[in-house]
Amino acid sequence: MVVLIEFEVIERARKGDDAAFNQIVVAYRKRILGTIARLIGRPEDVEDVGQEVFIRLYYSLDQLRTPEVFEPWMYRLTVNAAYDYMRRQKRRKESRMSDLSEQQVMLADASAGGKENQEELRRTGIREFVHSLLEGISEEDRALLILKEVEGLSLKEMEQIYKVNENALKVRLFRARQRVLKAYAAGQGAADPVE
Amino acid sequence: MEHMERKLTALWAKYREACPDPEPGPDFMPELWRKIESRRNAALSLLFRRWVEVCVLAALALSVLVTTLLIPHSQRSPVYQYTYLDVLAAADSSQDAMVLPGGDLE
Repeated sequence: MVVLIEFEVIERARKGDDAAFNQIVVAYRKRILGTIARLIGRPEDVEDVGQEVFIRLYYSLDQLRTPEVFEPWMYRLTVNAAYDYMRRQKRRKESRMSDLSEQQVMLADASAGGKENQEELRRTGIREFVHSLLEGISEEDRALLILKEVEGLSLKEMEQIYKVNENALKVRLFRARQRVLKAYAAGQGAADPVE
Repeated sequence: MEHMERKLTALWAKYREACPDPEPGPDFMPELWRKIESRRNAALSLLFRRWVEVCVLAALALSVLVTTLLIPHSQRSPVYQYTYLDVLAAADSSQDAMVLPGGDLE
């Protein structure tokens, strides 16, 4: 993780300076929105969840002990907001089983559009495929796997975010990966984007 | 299984590429500040409601205290044990007592 803002700005924001807080949002919003996009996999809801992260940051910034731990703390807020979103989505999905999937909607759009839509359809296919693999594991394990495998965070960085020791993280990651691997092997051939 | 491991690693890379960092929309910042403000107002009105609830509870507790403890206690004082006429009569007789014992009036 590369620190995108000076500690002095974080310190000012912590003391209630709204202009400094604004600077933090401008510096981090793209990175945070990207992480959220990969955690939740629904582009249409990314901004809402991102705003929720920054609202939580605004109201809890005074509890930050030192600016040095700002980034892991920010990631923790991001992961928690994404969990909350995924739980809400799960409930909503259970109550609206007849809705069209994102891919079905995109397919209908793509048939009316050109190359750009085809590309978006391919991306949507990958997103849906990965999400179907991740459905078999808990939201917590899903976030762990994405932070490690997709975001490329190190175990040290994840240790700071989750406040658990490296060995516990390794065990949990290994189990989650094995479960995903099993689901992947079981669903071989079904529109595999890697083939 | 090793083949599947490699495929899964490749899938993560493809997923990363399929979910690029999105550009925030032009309304991102104004909308964020609007949400911050509305949450602040909601928190303030909640605080005010709590304060009103505390005041109402305190008033209720005070009225219960007055009706169950203070009123019966004060009603036990001698002034409430006699009627107005009893008190007048007692005052009158004490005046008589002051005049009569000497017998000077007769």
